[in-house]
Amino acid sequence: MPRVTMASLPDYARYVIAAAEASAAYFPITRTIRLPGLELTAHLVPGALAESLDRAFIEAEGDQVDVRHLRVFIGHPGIGDLPEPAHWGDAHFTEHGFAQKLAEAGLRGLHFHDLDFWQLHDLRRHVGVQLMRSTDAFPPWEPGSPLRAFLHWEYAARGMRLTHAGTFGLDGKGALLAGAGGAGKSGTVVAGLLSGLDSVGDDYVLVDLEGGVRARPLFSTLKQDPKGFARLGLKTRLGADGPLNWQGKHTFHIEEIAPRPIPATLDIFALMVPHIGRGETSSIMPMSRRDAMMALAPSGIAQMPGERESGFRFFSDLTRLLPCYRISLGPDPEEIAGTIADFLARGS
Amino acid sequence: MHHSNVYAVASKDIVFESFDGEAVVLDLSNGKYFGFSDSGSAVWQALSSGVSMQALTGMVDAAALEAFVARLVEFGLLAPSDAPPQPLPDNLPAALAAAKEPLNVSIHDDLADLIIVDPIHEVEEPLGWPAVKQAS
Repeated sequence: MPRVTMASLPDYARYVIAAAEASAAYFPITRTIRLPGLELTAHLVPGALAESLDRAFIEAEGDQVDVRHLRVFIGHPGIGDLPEPAHWGDAHFTEHGFAQKLAEAGLRGLHFHDLDFWQLHDLRRHVGVQLMRSTDAFPPWEPGSPLRAFLHWEYAARGMRLTHAGTFGLDGKGALLAGAGGAGKSGTVVAGLLSGLDSVGDDYVLVDLEGGVRARPLFSTLKQDPKGFARLGLKTRLGADGPLNWQGKHTFHIEEIAPRPIPATLDIFALMVPHIGRGETSSIMPMSRRDAMMALAPSGIAQMPGERESGFRFFSDLTRLLPCYRISLGPDPEEIAGTIADFLARGS
Repeated sequence: MHHSNVYAVASKDIVFESFDGEAVVLDLSNGKYFGFSDSGSAVWQALSSGVSMQALTGMVDAAALEAFVARLVEFGLLAPSDAPPQPLPDNLPAALAAAKEPLNVSIHDDLADLIIVDPIHEVEEPLGWPAVKQAS
């Protein structure tokens, strides 16, 4: 089994990418996905990832300008000349050191040690490879937002950012909902959708700061734990027959509960940080930008490989552009949605 | 020449931003965040730009300042510097006078990186697992 060290990492990345490109004819499936300003062409094989690619994205509609093209090969040994994925062979692995070493060579990458799972990307040529031991040897979170690392690298290079936040909106204007897991972010987004509000996503949305803060949809996947799923009435509405995901949560798709087609963009006018309150009703109070930044940035940066400093600067700029609020969530989803709808109506 | 009590940002991996006068620092090398109180933000911004500790005498409690700087050094945010001290920013006395919170820095490391060690192959040969090979 080959071993990769920090010194050999860029050469290994180039070797894998070249092997995938040389094997292009052996990938039985090609999918093209239209995203905001980006056309993603994925070459892969049948299986769970191919199914997730069919459902996990919210595709951009209509004519777009300045569209870049990204090719990603998703494969494993047995497809053309794709090699066995290598082990990591250095004593120490640091996320930052790994990312820096690749960035010096114009490359980007991610390595998940437990599975010898690699995502390697040539940013200059917009070609990437997801190399796995076998068809299903991917981290359990991958199907919910497939290929997100490649999208992250491509968009970051253009000054945009995959942002770990929920969204809700009304008449084209909306708010970002930031915070760690368990704070009530997903439940709030779902409650809003069920009450007629819009959203461009719950987990990862594309944000740019050109001429104001705008959020665009990328992924359609929504998640709820069984308790929230029942509390929000989703068990009755969607059924609960499907398997739970790796976090023990139900997964479903935004278009299954959205009141109307997903908007192509939301003009964001507020950054909100939810927490589960103790009162009977929800309330919205101003909060410091420092605290909002601490709610927004860490998970968004930690969950995306590389681009740390640019992410820190981006989220700082974003936070400075928006008024920041803490939303204390009451127990009733309809009441939460009503509070948010009132807030959006005032903000619009 | 070494100027005692002058510090500098410890490395290029330490990046920081200010939000309405309140600082947030990120150590890029390990993903740890640091949040400062209002007085801590003002002192951080002064020290990280090369103002000497002596220049802050009389504006903050000396013992509290010593302890605060010791924490910043321990966290790897500041390091002693040989550079000549920089002048006190004009707005610093007013910022410290208006501060409502004591000097403080808090660490947020729940999403910081895990350092991964390959336990089988990277060991000192004579010692074997689990002694990790030291970088040469």
